[in-house]
Amino acid sequence: MRAGEAYRHLADLAETVEDEWQYVNDLRDAYLPGILALGAAGGAGAAGGARGAITDAQAAAVDEAIAEIALISDPHKAIDWLSTFPHVVALALDGDLDGAVDASFGDSAGTVPDEDSPFRTLGGFR
Amino acid sequence: MRFQDAARDARAVVYAGIQADPLVARAGELLAEATAAERLMARAAMNGERTDPDVWRRIFPSLFGEVRGEGGAAEAPEAAEGAADRARAEAILAISLEIAERGEAARSSYRGAVVEELTARLLARRAGPAAVKRERRVLFDGVRAEIHPYDVTVESDAQPEVYDCKWGARGINADVLNQLDDARAHAADEEISLAVAVVVFDARRSCEMRLDRSTAEHAGTRLIALESLDELAAGR
Repeated sequence: MRAGEAYRHLADLAETVEDEWQYVNDLRDAYLPGILALGAAGGAGAAGGARGAITDAQAAAVDEAIAEIALISDPHKAIDWLSTFPHVVALALDGDLDGAVDASFGDSAGTVPDEDSPFRTLGGFR
Repeated sequence: MRFQDAARDARAVVYAGIQADPLVARAGELLAEATAAERLMARAAMNGERTDPDVWRRIFPSLFGEVRGEGGAAEAPEAAEGAADRARAEAILAISLEIAERGEAARSSYRGAVVEELTARLLARRAGPAAVKRERRVLFDGVRAEIHPYDVTVESDAQPEVYDCKWGARGINADVLNQLDDARAHAADEEISLAVAVVVFDARRSCEMRLDRSTAEHAGTRLIALESLDELAAGR
């Protein structure tokens, strides 16, 4: 999938920020399989089953997102986009990166962490 | 424990000018009403290379597609709701691109100010506007004051809260986490339950990665990421 190739190029650029080498590789390792799975499943996501062919609008969305990250020359901005691009692609294809993460970028405004999310149990609020 | 206005150095004075820019207030107001997907679009557009709105409409077709009612009627209730959603998405896109057009140097300050403004607005829904303050330090008995103020605080006797706001997960670092955890621990020494949190306008998964690699103490620090910003208003 072209999105996966574009993501690899973006990571290569981001990797030139030496202090962030580990974070860049963590991002690549975490997101690249999901991007490739989205492409393989025609937008259904790794756990979503076959959804059939993507629409013209969805294909155009991914193409534009790829074109956007191809314009990036600043490695610091590339790091920012390593985090953003996978979710943009998943939203465009109406899919999940790993079956859970991008459900949160659907049409609901008020999302709540999963019961077992660490952020439910970290500190403070009642 | 008590809160105090932070002393303003030259950099803080310049940044205060950005925080007071009506553009920041409008962005905060719009993003407070936004869905998670619209906030993702705002993050992308504010950090984009291109500022042609048609590009962003194509990248986010689910936010800008035509919605028709049952039987294809444009005047059906679903169509009206869809039109309102689209209008909101258009407004968020427009202001995001307005920020992007400020240029690479300025946009980073504007983005930070927008995250703070959004955080303050969402917290005010729960705690009331009077309790929510900006750029405040927290002082503890017998403890040297931190130099860096907290971006947003909720100053309530029952449940005080302090927030550090970040545009991206990359902003999560040991200094930030240590300061938040120190504040929580010092408050606990005074038998005060101080809620500490970092608000990040970035995907939760990316923030988790950052936290997983951090050796700074953060078990008592809450993370509020892009997908779950509305928790600030709900207090969950």
